[in-house]
Amino acid sequence: MNLVPEHLIIAPVLIPFIAGVVLLFFEDRARSVKAVVSICATVALLAVSVMLLRMAHTEEDSGRIAVYLLGNWPPPFAINLVLDRLSAMMLVLTALLALPSLVFSLARWHKAGVHFHTLFLLLLMGLNGAFLTGDLFNLFVFFEIMLAASYGLVLHGSGLLRVKAGLHYIAINLVASLLFLIGVALIYGVTGTLNMADLALRIPQISEANRIMLESGAAILGVAFLIKAGMWPLNFWLPATYAAAPAPSAAIFAIMSKVGIYVLLRLSLLFFGNTPDFPENMSLEILFYSGLATIGFGTAGVLASQTLGRFAGFSVLISSGTLLASLGLVHNGVTAGALFYLASSTLAISALFMLIELVERGQNMASNVLAVTMEAFGDYDEEMADEEIVGVAIPRTIAVLGTCFAACAILLAGLPPLSGFIAKFVILNALFNPDESGQAHLIPATSWWLLALLILSGLATLIAMSRSASARSGHRRSIPPCQEYC
Amino acid sequence: MELILSLGIGVLVGSGVWLLLRPRTFQVIIGLGLISYAVNLFIFSMGRLVADKPPVTQAGTRIDPAMLADPVPQALVLTAIVIGFATTALFLVILLATRGLTGTDHVDGREPD
Amino acid sequence: MFAAFAIVAILYPFISEGEVLRSDIEWLPAQGLNFTLRMDGFAWMFSMLITGIGFLVVLYARYYMSPRDPVPRFFSFLLAFAGAMQGMVIAGNLILLAIFWELTSIFSFLLIGYWHHNAAAREGARMSLIITGTGGLCLLAGLILTGYIVGSYDLDSVLAAGNAIREHELYVPTLALILLGALTKSAQFPFHFWLPNAMAAPTPVSAYLHSATMVKAGVFLLTRLWPVLSGTDEWFFILGLAGMSTLLLGAYFAIFQRDLKGLLAYSTISHLGLITTLLSLGSPLAAVAAIFHMVNHATFKASLFMAAGIIDHEAGTRDMRKLSGLFSYMPITATLAMVASAAMAGVPLLNGFLSKEMFFAETLGQHSSSMLDEMLPYVATIAGAFAVTYSVRFIHTVFFGPKPQELPGEPHEPPHWMRLPIEFLVLACLIVGIIPGMTIGPYLHTAVTSVLGDRTPQYSLAIWHGISTPLIMSMIAFISGILLYLILKNYLARCEDGPPGLNRLKGQHIFDRMLVTLSWRWARWLEESFGTHRLQPQLFLVILIALIAGCWPFITTDSSFALPSLTGIDPVFALLWGTGMACALGAAYQAKYHRLAALILMGGAGLITCITFVWFSAPDLAVTQLLVEIVTTVLILLGLRWLPKRVEKIDIASTLTAKARRLRDLILAISCGSGMMLIAYHAMTSAPLHDSIARFFVEQAYPEGGGHNVVNVILVDFRGFDTFGEITVLGIVALTVYALLRRFRPAPDSIDIPEQQRRQNAFDDDHPERNIGETVHDYLLVPSVIMQWMFPFIILLAVYLFLRGHDLPGGGFAAGITLAIGLLLQYLASGTRQIEDRLHIMPIRWIGFGLLLAALTGMGSWLSGFPFLTTYSTYLEIPLIGQLPVATALFFDLGVLLLVVGATALMLLAIAHQSTRSYRTRTTESAKTGEET
Repeated sequence: MNLVPEHLIIAPVLIPFIAGVVLLFFEDRARSVKAVVSICATVALLAVSVMLLRMAHTEEDSGRIAVYLLGNWPPPFAINLVLDRLSAMMLVLTALLALPSLVFSLARWHKAGVHFHTLFLLLLMGLNGAFLTGDLFNLFVFFEIMLAASYGLVLHGSGLLRVKAGLHYIAINLVASLLFLIGVALIYGVTGTLNMADLALRIPQISEANRIMLESGAAILGVAFLIKAGMWPLNFWLPATYAAAPAPSAAIFAIMSKVGIYVLLRLSLLFFGNTPDFPENMSLEILFYSGLATIGFGTAGVLASQTLGRFAGFSVLISSGTLLASLGLVHNGVTAGALFYLASSTLAISALFMLIELVERGQNMASNVLAVTMEAFGDYDEEMADEEIVGVAIPRTIAVLGTCFAACAILLAGLPPLSGFIAKFVILNALFNPDESGQAHLIPATSWWLLALLILSGLATLIAMSRSASARSGHRRSIPPCQEYC
Repeated sequence: MELILSLGIGVLVGSGVWLLLRPRTFQVIIGLGLISYAVNLFIFSMGRLVADKPPVTQAGTRIDPAMLADPVPQALVLTAIVIGFATTALFLVILLATRGLTGTDHVDGREPD
Repeated sequence: MFAAFAIVAILYPFISEGEVLRSDIEWLPAQGLNFTLRMDGFAWMFSMLITGIGFLVVLYARYYMSPRDPVPRFFSFLLAFAGAMQGMVIAGNLILLAIFWELTSIFSFLLIGYWHHNAAAREGARMSLIITGTGGLCLLAGLILTGYIVGSYDLDSVLAAGNAIREHELYVPTLALILLGALTKSAQFPFHFWLPNAMAAPTPVSAYLHSATMVKAGVFLLTRLWPVLSGTDEWFFILGLAGMSTLLLGAYFAIFQRDLKGLLAYSTISHLGLITTLLSLGSPLAAVAAIFHMVNHATFKASLFMAAGIIDHEAGTRDMRKLSGLFSYMPITATLAMVASAAMAGVPLLNGFLSKEMFFAETLGQHSSSMLDEMLPYVATIAGAFAVTYSVRFIHTVFFGPKPQELPGEPHEPPHWMRLPIEFLVLACLIVGIIPGMTIGPYLHTAVTSVLGDRTPQYSLAIWHGISTPLIMSMIAFISGILLYLILKNYLARCEDGPPGLNRLKGQHIFDRMLVTLSWRWARWLEESFGTHRLQPQLFLVILIALIAGCWPFITTDSSFALPSLTGIDPVFALLWGTGMACALGAAYQAKYHRLAALILMGGAGLITCITFVWFSAPDLAVTQLLVEIVTTVLILLGLRWLPKRVEKIDIASTLTAKARRLRDLILAISCGSGMMLIAYHAMTSAPLHDSIARFFVEQAYPEGGGHNVVNVILVDFRGFDTFGEITVLGIVALTVYALLRRFRPAPDSIDIPEQQRRQNAFDDDHPERNIGETVHDYLLVPSVIMQWMFPFIILLAVYLFLRGHDLPGGGFAAGITLAIGLLLQYLASGTRQIEDRLHIMPIRWIGFGLLLAALTGMGSWLSGFPFLTTYSTYLEIPLIGQLPVATALFFDLGVLLLVVGATALMLLAIAHQSTRSYRTRTTESAKTGEET
């Protein structure tokens, strides 16, 4: 037995754990040591994730599924970890987000409070565990690790705004955790197992009376995940929390809402995979329409947000809504596009959270509000004639920032040539060519809705971004102009 | 017996939900406490109710699983209790922090108008 | 740029044969998106325009831009734009075309906003991006629909599927979306207003993007898809209406501009309207005219923009009210501009005349019997007259008349190289105008054939067709245009910006209003009405939705509940739960005003829970629940001190809405309670499962796991990974609590020492023989001594609980909490500060060791090649104590113990520590006030 690749599956959980725990033994002042350790751990994590992805990816179409039996107990009984291409992709994505967030935090944030690195690494552990585990209750435990660490990271550095947003965040997620428990308990009560693969086998054989309870349990469980995924109307905490969280925390939180979606995808395959005529099809419909509502709400929020932080928070909602609606369609092509969209939008939003802090560092909050009022009253300064018609050179750092900001904007709005466009295109294309032949079938009304909302949300992002771009350069002369389009 | 226990769970949940919807942080934390009792009992009850047969095996005797209470929900409840304890403690502290920073114990951090 | 031009030029021999050059690179073949490039005659003609004029503009810009300008940025954007435009023209895949299309919008945004310190430039850039970007997204949707209808995004397949598209039921939405894209890009009414605002861009940009190339993208697309989409009523009405209104309004607005570039911008709009109108007609001959006019317009408008740029550059202003009599300063430029604007007005012997003539001829034809069609010739003539008027105005005001006063600069001829591009373009105008058949003829023919295929009509490019109706129309337009200028001349010299009558109807303002309303007021309204910042409604929604989700399956399927059986109920148990329920309800009722009472009642409910666990054979749970109960209560007790005092007010008669809200909450609470009750009852009474995973655990616990207590074996072995995670959660929370409390700021009104202590201190004050604080110290002396003595026993109890855990109820967690409670008792007994002075425990170390030990135990199994957390167990014979079960799981459990002690102690101590903080705050403050007085 070749041991190393076998045990590699658990490495994404253990690496951050051990690194995080070891950091507890250092004095809080030994920041550079802590930074080095956690960076090394994250780099290792990235390497391992990529190796796992290579392991899971095979030339054949199906990919490879690897199972790691914890405690060496036979499969359905104890906990196991399951690696397939989807989970491997999420692992890589997590590590990819983690590394820049961590590096970013070294500039300032990790000094704002104690144990930042430990909390951050344990958050990674929770995320990776949630992606890997093949056991329903173990999923709960990893969700809790992730959430507990995220509570710590939201509150990192304390402060009025953070504590207020944190209170709401924690209260709602505690309720969600209780719902999670109720759902898991019900499912165990009627199936007698917690292993996800085993569940898929047992569900079709369940008696009619028990099926009702199973459905009830699954629905409650679903609500818990939808809260995490940020579905409207369960998502009002999200923009406030993400906007209030320290930038590096918010950057890694970008993937947290995706965990809910990942689990929904996983479980919906489990529950509905074998029995296509399962009456829960209605729940998929609900998923789709609530996804649309989420995009709609996110769009309104993006337009209405006066600070960039809230803007980014609402972008998370748009991204979640798009994913939920795509999943609700249960269509392979759309799901493929949605997964691509997941990666692209997560990275963009994460980058945006960090950029926002840099961009906002040198300017007063009022200028954002100003951009809107300027629109409202239409009083442009008639300075055109007086302005010297000579370009102003842009400082290099600002130019770099501006380019990044513009790239994020283009990604989120889904404009070509960046991946946001490709993702949206793949979703739409699959929507309108479901059987790949492109002939003779009707387009359902749902597709039109999704099309309209996708385009509308992109447009709203564009408007909001260009508004903030204008605001950013409506600067006082003393501050170097932070110019987005250069 | 099942009736009484489910009634109890129902009352705990009802009181807890009522408290969750109240505006004071202390009410919310008590509500969360009550609901977590209910949830623990609920998980526990999924193993069906068995009196006087704790899942402890005797050395040397033949083991009959049907003769013992279901140990799995118990193990789950133990984990849930610990996690519930942790989160209650956290909520308590953030409650205190909010109170300290805002001067009020309202859940929104400011008194309603 | 010149290299690109040369390459394109070299390609002509291939194209002229009617061949189509293709290059395919697979990109996303599964999605039908390939990187296909395709060049035919029409694309070639456009490529010539893009590269040729691009080259001239670059040359011009070299002299136009100030040496202080950061030109690298400018040129990189300009070239990037040219690339995008070129890509769009030769894209052989609809989606690729949309990609390049959006790219041109983005680069146009960057170029307009190049002078980003200028508010007008920023606004113009933003507006153009929003409008053309929106159009681009619509276009994308339209093209996807086209792809859906045709079954392929490949341009060749699409072009071959004209009938299928026109007859498809989705033709109208497809057409509408594509037209939306094209009309926004080509600045057609009602989307025209972004173009004048885009004039804030540097002049080379205006010359290139906003006259020659980018705005042509819309009409380019229309022409490209002309064979596929045109010929229907919808096509004619939408395009015809847009085109004609643009043609007329653009020309009318152009007359009344005072900014030179504004005039040219509106004239561009008007000319684009002309092309659109031509395309809308749906006759092949009109399409020929449209293609021809695209080329002509590009040549003369680019040269005019450059001329305007020179004037601006040299004279320092573009305001036509200030400019006059420049002819004597810059005769060559003036002559060039005059020729170009004559072409714009459609004077014979120039290229503008030829295409205009074709346009007039086309308007006369009968295309569809409707009002719109009838009006067309008149509209065309009027617009022609307006075109003459603004062209004359341009020339007359700027170059003739008295010498200018108050000019910012002293005008003179520009450098020769700057003028060269204009000279070249004007020459082209002249040559094409005089000998069209020999110059442009063959190229035009190639382009037309590639668009129209076998529908290519017979046409002639001769200058003189004899006296015909179009010529008469031209004459009328010419004469009336000049007359109109003479009438308006004086008015124009001092008028406000913008045309009379329609001045208030500024597209820009409407756009801004709309944008504000849509994107700000409505969005705010939406966000506020469908969102909330408050916690209570959020929790309400969460619970409500969970309730609905949980109950839905029960409602939809009519499940019959078995009637609850009242038999077999133990009265003691019933009484127990009667108390439990009373406690819960009491806690709910008291939590607002009597916190302590509520806490005790909650504890009561917890106690009942413990007893229930014992009753139904779960001793482990009972022990753990009890211990956790104690710690939680103590924690909350410690916290109670920091909450505000609340006195019960008699505010029963609160507002109606408040009452309604309470009623609503009550209903939700009751329904949740009954829902949970029903589900729980249903689940408990359903038949037990015989094949659950529990069976395996019970059977294997002793043989494989080495322990009799199945629950404990599950926790440390079968599902040890859960426990591993669980202790991590506890550790994280402890760290968070610690971090948060380090920054704790008590509210000002809870800093004072409690009333009881105050009273005790007052007692000390009254008795001179007592020191301050002595009574506080002596308070509860006997219990505290007992508690101090109990410490070793508690430790012993913890060890016992820990060791027996594997076989009997107990275990690492219970032991850990017991130990922590022991520590806590020490705090209670001796006061926070004495303990902190005496005992140096470092809880974070404990947490670290605990977690590390657990992980290392788990990893130990790697040494023997087994997966994480595989255990090995044996029994050890230890003298005095007897046989002891020793599994590697024991070390794991030890880790759990260490962590639990550390975490619990950390949390308790962190909260307890706060009392000293407040004391310090108080003393420092009193010290301060003491100093002041």
